[in-house]
Amino acid sequence: MTSTPLPTPRFRITRHRRLAWVGSGLACLLSLLGLVLCWINPEIGAPLRPGLDFTGGTQIQLERACPGPCSPVSADALQRRIARLTVPAEAGASAPSLNAAAVQVLDQGRSLVLRLPDLNPEQAAVVVAEVQAAAGPLQAAATSVNTIGPTLGDQLLKGSLISLLVSFAAIALYITVRYDRVFAGLALLCLGHDVLITCGVFAWLGLLAGIEVDSLFAVSLITVAGYSVTDTVVVFDRIREQKTVLRDLPLPDQVDVAVDATLTRSLYTSLTTLLPLVALIFFGGSTLFWFAVALTIGIAVGSWSSIGVAPTLLPLFARR
Amino acid sequence: MARQQGWFALILALAIAAAAVLASFPLQLGLDLKGGSQLTLQVMPAGAITSVKPEQLEAVKDVLDRRINGLGVAESTLQTVGDDQLVLQLPGEQDPSRAAKVLGTTALLEFRAQRPGTEQQMSGLLKLKRQAQAVLNQRRQRSQALAEGQSAPDTPAVDLPAQQLAESLQSLGVAVPAGSSEVDQLELLLAEVNRRVVDLYEPAELTGRDLTAAGRQQQQTGSGWDVTLTFNGEGGRKFAALTQSIAGSGRLLGIVLDGRSISEASVGPEFKPAGITGGSASITGNFSAEEARDLEVQLRGGSLPLPVKLIEVRTVGPSLGAENIRSSLVAALSGLALVAVFMVVVYRLPGLVSVVALSLYALFNLAIYALIPVTLSLPGIAGFILSIGMAVDANVLIFERVKEELRAGNTLIRSIDTGFSLAFSSILDGHVTGLISCAALFALGTGLVKGFAVTLAIGLLLSLFTALTCTRSILRLLTSYPALRRVTYFLPARQLPAGAA
Repeated sequence: MTSTPLPTPRFRITRHRRLAWVGSGLACLLSLLGLVLCWINPEIGAPLRPGLDFTGGTQIQLERACPGPCSPVSADALQRRIARLTVPAEAGASAPSLNAAAVQVLDQGRSLVLRLPDLNPEQAAVVVAEVQAAAGPLQAAATSVNTIGPTLGDQLLKGSLISLLVSFAAIALYITVRYDRVFAGLALLCLGHDVLITCGVFAWLGLLAGIEVDSLFAVSLITVAGYSVTDTVVVFDRIREQKTVLRDLPLPDQVDVAVDATLTRSLYTSLTTLLPLVALIFFGGSTLFWFAVALTIGIAVGSWSSIGVAPTLLPLFARR
Repeated sequence: MARQQGWFALILALAIAAAAVLASFPLQLGLDLKGGSQLTLQVMPAGAITSVKPEQLEAVKDVLDRRINGLGVAESTLQTVGDDQLVLQLPGEQDPSRAAKVLGTTALLEFRAQRPGTEQQMSGLLKLKRQAQAVLNQRRQRSQALAEGQSAPDTPAVDLPAQQLAESLQSLGVAVPAGSSEVDQLELLLAEVNRRVVDLYEPAELTGRDLTAAGRQQQQTGSGWDVTLTFNGEGGRKFAALTQSIAGSGRLLGIVLDGRSISEASVGPEFKPAGITGGSASITGNFSAEEARDLEVQLRGGSLPLPVKLIEVRTVGPSLGAENIRSSLVAALSGLALVAVFMVVVYRLPGLVSVVALSLYALFNLAIYALIPVTLSLPGIAGFILSIGMAVDANVLIFERVKEELRAGNTLIRSIDTGFSLAFSSILDGHVTGLISCAALFALGTGLVKGFAVTLAIGLLLSLFTALTCTRSILRLLTSYPALRRVTYFLPARQLPAGAA
């Protein structure tokens, strides 16, 4: 190491810490509000609007084959037509009622998405045949039918939650061993902040735009958590490294030096990670759109919290 | 210098090996990318068994494997997942409903003799059954013919007057939901009749366990198919005893599959002395060719030791899959191209080196996917893209440190060395925390999450290698040439401390 004089950071994050806290606190409150509003909304009844993966049921996606512009299809008419349909019953069970079927018409009538109760493949084929008769011809090769039993959605949710909690605990343990308890606590706080805000945005999206969360959303939350910890660790690593050199400076100044030194890296890294994600949002398949949106939000927030939240809180907790 | 060249040779050799691996082992794509159906089955504990043990799961898998092979589905795979689940993958444009039907049934075949003194009840039920079945078959044929745009087949009309149907239903105590069609009512009637027929049989003496082979043959008269059965020695003896006990008595032999009476046969008085010997029998059920084949497959596969339940079906049309893979690929590549431009603009010579190192990184990653093999699905691709982000981050961390050292007025070679060694601890911590999450996700997560964890973990391990080895040795090799050892290839001149360079 060089024996440079004490560095004077160009940018002092601790001078703006009140602003940073208020901003993050407001974002967290808004997110919580969104989650609570979702929960008390009788139509949703959960902190986030659960998609097919969690509720169970059958989703059928169909592409219509039209040479020119597609003839208009009324979602309501199609819905009523499907509701009148009776599907063959499975042995020992009554045939599911299709009254609750929901039809969405997308891409100027080119594609149709049907949400139905749990159907077996035979029953789903009956529904597809009905749509074929009503709005055909369809492109057989572009049909996608997903059926998820309710037990599986439950398993998925439990599996994701448990693995998330276990990985949090393991990461906290690792940081405690490598650094310090306070660092571990702050890293987890940051992680909670990032995950909360990402969930909050999707709660509001669910409330206002009817966006549902699927199992890919669970994957994106896990990713955001991992990214958030990595980002925070880099700043903490810098603070620890400078402890001996900057021993004479008060802790807030040490934090400023570390944040200033890692600021370029933090911004560049989020930029380089966000580039492929933004590309996925604009050019990626429809299946990955909301996944990329969730990751983009989470990574942007994660980058912010590693600069503005974790380091500025450090002097507060380390003083004791 | 010699050491750098050694590393460089190793990296080159690895790159060639990776390219060779990719050329000879194709990447395996998940069904969400290439299209196809995925069926998830839950094995249910039944009777005395309260939890599914690994042996039982294996036994169920064996039976299902035989059944699927019998169906003649191309390239299907059946895997066990977790403690009590099986996943069947059917690639391409194949209808999952037939597979679902064949997989889901227990195929418990029983041969049961009719209880004495029930002849009258039985003949009444069977008459009703034949009548309802005939009407139902004709209705189905007609609607199928109509759906295919042909005129209805010209067969003599059979009919079950609505009033008679309603009376039969009522006498059997079947509640008919309001507004159900004639076909629905016929189906309800048949189900109830079958249940009552089965009640008239003695408990089973002979089951499908004693079966050694099953086949099918076209009926000599008529267009239907028969399913033929061959028993083992003990089964043959039991079958002879069973047929002897009812021969000539007017009582029937019931063939019951999964609690459904599929065939009722009478045994003529000529078999009174010894029963039907020879260890074989046939089920005359007027099956269609496809039904006979499915039944044969189920019987040959044996009965399932435990019942299974279909809990998930995912079908992605092949063109939808192709669309997904194409657009995701375009997105990933354009994003990465932007990252490459960014790195070269911001970091100059080392930026260029890192682009080479990151291309190698992507190549190694894909080669490992092909080698293990990892089936690439959408979450897997997401894990791959994220791990590229982490790999870029490692390079950014190193180069920022190198720049700092240069700004502090250090020599080029020393700055590079210090930059690498100072960045190491944060890179290591970031990667280890990532790997910890991967381990937790892999151990506890479900299918989708697992695929993501695997690709991310491979990516993290490789990125440790490429960032610390590839980037470093290529950079060192280049700076061993004096022409390239210029600080301005690393940092704009105005950022240098006065007097340096």
